Amino acid sequence: MELLAQARLTFFGMTPNSPELWVKIIVTFILGLGVMFAFTKAPIRARRMIVFSFTFASGLFYILLWLWPVAVAREPGTLPNNAVEGVAFWLDDAVPRIADVAQILTAFLLGLGIMSLLTVHTQRIRRKAQDWKYSVLLMVSLVTMVGFGYVDWIQKKFQDPQGKLLEMANWGPVQYGQDLLFDGAYQQMEAAMFSMIAFFILSAAYRAFRVRSVESTVLMASALILMLSLMGALDFIWTTGINNLVAQTHNPFLDNFKISEVAGWVKSTLQTPSIRAIEFGVGLGAVAMGLRIWLGLERGGVSA
Amino acid sequence: MNAAFWDKLQKVDRRVLYVVLVVLTSIGLFLKAEIPVAVDDSSADFYAKLMKIDPNKPVVVQTDWTISTRGENMAHLECLLRILMTRKIKFVYYSATSDAPAFQVATDVIRHINEERKAMNLKVYERGTDYIGLGLFPNAEGANESMRNDIKKAWGGRRVRMPDGNETDIFQTPVLKGVNSMGDFGLMVVVTASDTIDFAVQRLNDKVELTGMATGVIAPGMLPYYQARQLKGFAGGLKGCYDMEYMMKHGINHPEEGGKIYVNAGKIVGEVPPLGSGKDLARATQYYADLHIALSLLIFAVVVGNVAMFAQKKAKKGAE
Repeated sequence: MELLAQARLTFFGMTPNSPELWVKIIVTFILGLGVMFAFTKAPIRARRMIVFSFTFASGLFYILLWLWPVAVAREPGTLPNNAVEGVAFWLDDAVPRIADVAQILTAFLLGLGIMSLLTVHTQRIRRKAQDWKYSVLLMVSLVTMVGFGYVDWIQKKFQDPQGKLLEMANWGPVQYGQDLLFDGAYQQMEAAMFSMIAFFILSAAYRAFRVRSVESTVLMASALILMLSLMGALDFIWTTGINNLVAQTHNPFLDNFKISEVAGWVKSTLQTPSIRAIEFGVGLGAVAMGLRIWLGLERGGVSA
Repeated sequence: MNAAFWDKLQKVDRRVLYVVLVVLTSIGLFLKAEIPVAVDDSSADFYAKLMKIDPNKPVVVQTDWTISTRGENMAHLECLLRILMTRKIKFVYYSATSDAPAFQVATDVIRHINEERKAMNLKVYERGTDYIGLGLFPNAEGANESMRNDIKKAWGGRRVRMPDGNETDIFQTPVLKGVNSMGDFGLMVVVTASDTIDFAVQRLNDKVELTGMATGVIAPGMLPYYQARQLKGFAGGLKGCYDMEYMMKHGINHPEEGGKIYVNAGKIVGEVPPLGSGKDLARATQYYADLHIALSLLIFAVVVGNVAMFAQKKAKKGAE
């Protein structure tokens, strides 16, 4: 039970470039490939069982973590007094390992995406399908970006112990190339894609946002109040006007008509409870769906 | 005006709308002006918290955004870094999102702020001694759960290259020395464009004081956490960030020349000073006039669209 607790130096924190680390990386890589190959050769029925077993074990771990009595005031090196405490210690120690596995699995999605992209576009280029030139462009962009990124990383990691490359004044061609591709091209294109939403919102606001029912009127009124509250200049002018009016009439009730007050009321009295209610609903749905997947009732989740 | 006019107005070419949007928002980018503002309670709480935390305790910054939301999130992170660096608070940052460029984007922002400070003859933050970057954790839920469980195991074995060129275990650096659990951090700030803050609240809110900076789309989802005091404060959207910059310049309940108080936040007890040195009105101020223009245009479009619809109906009825 204490094995995990004693493993202070993790696999990922071993001395860089040490032979022991390289051996472990190579062995893990070969083992991983072997397991993946074995899974691809497994019959359909067995695949379902494998997926179900992994899903059930993962779910069981987190359910135990949540329900099992927690080891209180545990000090490093403490041994469990009984089996219940032993399981608690084991769960406690296993959390970072499970989290590492979850991180790696999520990172695998990136690899899976790249693999799929390469497969699809290689085929398109080979068959000279319609617009295959864009596929070439995509592959070249992918390789160039990865290439610059890795060389930059290698230079910073192994050839720049003083961290001089962190400052732009010390950059070389690789850093400028990486910056041009990442900051100069990729990021600008991403921002441009995202900003297109503004055009659609404006067009939709003009053409589709119509007062045709009570619901749409309420929606429009709340949207208007919240938009006005985001405009500080307008809010300031309005608030100053209300303050002057309150000073003249000595009627503090008028304070309630400040835009920030009305928007605050909409947010705290209408918006927040609605969000809370929706999140309760989503949470219950997630529990129901989680249970179905965990117990293998959701066929889509466990079929391979 | 006859029905044909209103009909024409309703069917105005969308490209006309697009041109109007481009022209007006482009003009707005050049109108950098300090606009008086009534700051949100959540922003005031956040600023007060940042200005009052113990400078000897490090801060955790989880930065989960990429360039598509830079209008808001880059302004958020810049604003946060300016406050931390001016108050000489050490920090550790990482990204917990499957959006791979997030960590690189945050690293670039730190470099920009350092360059800005260097130009202003202010202290430049050094990797290893003043801050540490932990990299990308693609699974936010797992990362936060692990941090909750045991920070030394969650980040165990990681090394950072110090200014002298040697690699050191992160827990031996001046940034994390003495940190044994999440409770040893002064504050955690999640800068996000997605729901990653939900995981932080679910897993960490009882372990460390939690705050956030999120886009205008995500910010309403943070209100229930703020009302329940699970978030000690947050800056929502560009308005929230402008609030922060405004408070960085004027403080809270802080009398300036002639006794004038710019930010009168009754909810905050006592006075919170302005930042004092470094840049205060920056990116959010640059974009705030544009936000006014964009929202005014949106309101105008909705009003004109509806007026045209009703007028067209009325004109048609009249013709019948």
